[in-house]
Amino acid sequence: MTASRISLGVVGVVAFAALFVPPFLPWTHSAIDWDAVRAPLFSPGHLFGTDSVGRDLLARTLVGTRITLAVALAAALVALVIGTAWGAIAGWVGGRTDEIMMRIVDGLYALPFMFVVILLMVVFGRNIVLVFIGIGAVEWLTMARVVRGQVIALKQRPFVTAAEAAGAPPSRILTGHILPNVAGVALAYLLLTVPQVVMVESFLSFLGLGVQEPLTSLGILVKEGADDMDIQPHALLIPGGVLVLVIVCLTIAGERLRDRLSQ
Amino acid sequence: MSLYAVNGLSARIGDKVIVDDVSFTVEAGQCVVLVGASGSGKSQTCLAPFGLSPAIPSGSARLDGVELIGADPDTVRTIRGRDVGFVFQHPLTALTPHLTIGAQLTESWTRGGAPPPSRTDMIAALERVGLDAPDDRLDQFPHRLSGGQRQRALIAMAVAHRPKLLIADEPTSALDASLRAEIMALLDTLRREQDMALLLVSHDLAAVADHADTVVMLRDGRIEESGPAADILATPHSDYGRALVAATPKLSDPPPDLPETGAPLLDAEKIEVSFGRPGWRRGRIQAVAGASLSIAEGEALALVGGSGSGKSTLARAIARIGPIDAGGVTWRGEPLPERKRMTASHRRLIQPVFQDPVASLDPQWRVSDIIAEPLKHLRPDRAEWGRAGTVKQLLQEVDLPADFADRFPRELSGGQAQRVAIARALAVEPEMLLLDEATSALDVLVAGRVLDLLEKLQNERDLALLFITHDLAVARRLCHRIAVMDAGAIVEEGPAQQIIAAPAHPVTQKLVAAS
Repeated sequence: MTASRISLGVVGVVAFAALFVPPFLPWTHSAIDWDAVRAPLFSPGHLFGTDSVGRDLLARTLVGTRITLAVALAAALVALVIGTAWGAIAGWVGGRTDEIMMRIVDGLYALPFMFVVILLMVVFGRNIVLVFIGIGAVEWLTMARVVRGQVIALKQRPFVTAAEAAGAPPSRILTGHILPNVAGVALAYLLLTVPQVVMVESFLSFLGLGVQEPLTSLGILVKEGADDMDIQPHALLIPGGVLVLVIVCLTIAGERLRDRLSQ
Repeated sequence: MSLYAVNGLSARIGDKVIVDDVSFTVEAGQCVVLVGASGSGKSQTCLAPFGLSPAIPSGSARLDGVELIGADPDTVRTIRGRDVGFVFQHPLTALTPHLTIGAQLTESWTRGGAPPPSRTDMIAALERVGLDAPDDRLDQFPHRLSGGQRQRALIAMAVAHRPKLLIADEPTSALDASLRAEIMALLDTLRREQDMALLLVSHDLAAVADHADTVVMLRDGRIEESGPAADILATPHSDYGRALVAATPKLSDPPPDLPETGAPLLDAEKIEVSFGRPGWRRGRIQAVAGASLSIAEGEALALVGGSGSGKSTLARAIARIGPIDAGGVTWRGEPLPERKRMTASHRRLIQPVFQDPVASLDPQWRVSDIIAEPLKHLRPDRAEWGRAGTVKQLLQEVDLPADFADRFPRELSGGQAQRVAIARALAVEPEMLLLDEATSALDVLVAGRVLDLLEKLQNERDLALLFITHDLAVARRLCHRIAVMDAGAIVEEGPAQQIIAAPAHPVTQKLVAAS
């Protein structure tokens, strides 16, 4: 309980800083300070120093975090919507429909999913919207399985039979009884999906397939930092640290929530 | 000196006192029963001295003169393995699924340090507990055995090392009535044969009354009353004891005064229901095979039978809330439409109440919304404000305070939740209630009060009842007629008094003997 609160608090602080702090910084994430290329940590005007072309690392880290979190959240929401709808329909209708829908999920699971995302990039170009649609379209599979399982379990509960006896039409039972009871678990998996997507996004950006310059993301920063790490290791450690912090905290919060709901 | 003497035993979990100053003794060959409602601390009283519960015990518990409380865990473990046997409530979960019966029997046999048993020894042990085909059973895995067989196997394991004391925690609660009697008889025989002391835990006074020498009644962790079983059952001294004895329906009670019945109401002809086998296996399981029944206005029909006999499936098929393969249902001579075609005016007629009161209320809904749900769908003529008034009135009718309307199901006890479920069923003024084991999941006292409520409703509202139960004594209290079900068919049907006085079918005879 406390661990999940602290974790969510940390993520909240990071997200708040990423959203609201950059406008107040002396340098934007793309502006080049010709007088301070590769400035070290805590140099005047550049708290985190600058990179190999003289861009302020604090601004870049914050903007990168913002983009990474936005992409992750958007992709997780896409996964939530598709996954919940797919899983709920499969579980609710049951029988052959369920079989077919879940075999489709199994089939998609079997695809090498990084390959699919890369293929999307190649075919449709490097577009930030496509990045999260592509990721969301792959990440919904787990959500669909979880929701389907929940719906099947709930369908057998006596209160659903009681609702049928009370004359509630099937659509009402699904929206009034089943989905509200699935919501908690779906939310927990949403929290667990976000860090996964953060990982995928960073990996794609690291490969140069994700977000494009002059926009930046944690993945790009980690790549740039890695290129430069023998000269100034903090350029790798700072964005890398933020990445780890966000992933660990969201995972802890999501797992705690899931454990609490599954008791 | 007593074999097992508990003196001033207390136990607490955290700051909460679960057992408070409990004392009793068990002699060799004697049977002591701990009775009480759920949460009265009876299981903890048994388990805490042996280090089998999270509760921390204090006071004294001496087995054969050896103090258990405060002894080091190794000593307690040795004593537990050598001198004590345990039988638990759930035979389904108390066996390890991936080990054969023989392997598990060997394990408990050698626990006290005895040499491994020969196959002949093990066969003899299974024979002693009345398990059929013991030679085959040794090589079988637990899932091949039925509930009753598993409980017998567990008892065989519990007594394999010839313990001085056998502790049985609700050994029959998960079994149906006829099996209960068999298991109790088995425990009795073993106790006599091996001169073993038996410490029994139960919430069901009726089930254990005949077998006990001494009864210890617990309430909130304290002893409410204790003494020889016959005395306590005949003349309980404490209020709680009196309430507990009175709330336990018995077949020997005077015949109840039931309301008059009217014209034929419901007629179900040759109902058949089957289910597909789970997984990829072929074929179907015939749950109900051509069962027919009829109910008149204001009449209560009890549908009794063992678990798996198809009583719930039949009732659900009739009420159109479950699947049905074949067979017709008529209501006052008119055919009742099939499940998907039920209109509001048809749905209104039959309303169900289920066994598990908490699971039958949506955890996300408030009590007022739960009760108003059928009103909303089946009585759209009643406006929003009329609904609020009806909810209040219904809560009053099921003896719940009006401010319960704002509660969530998790804020209700089992008995209160069942009252809410009954209020929901009554909301649309149905002509028949389907009560599917409506009191089985409740404590004796709470169940007694729910039965009182049903009796009141039966008299005031002229309701027909289809009362599903495995307990003949409960059926007899409310019902005009009894229909006995076995393997998906109705094997015997007739007036309640007659069925109980002169059961004709072997299944009925078994049920009557067990009650």
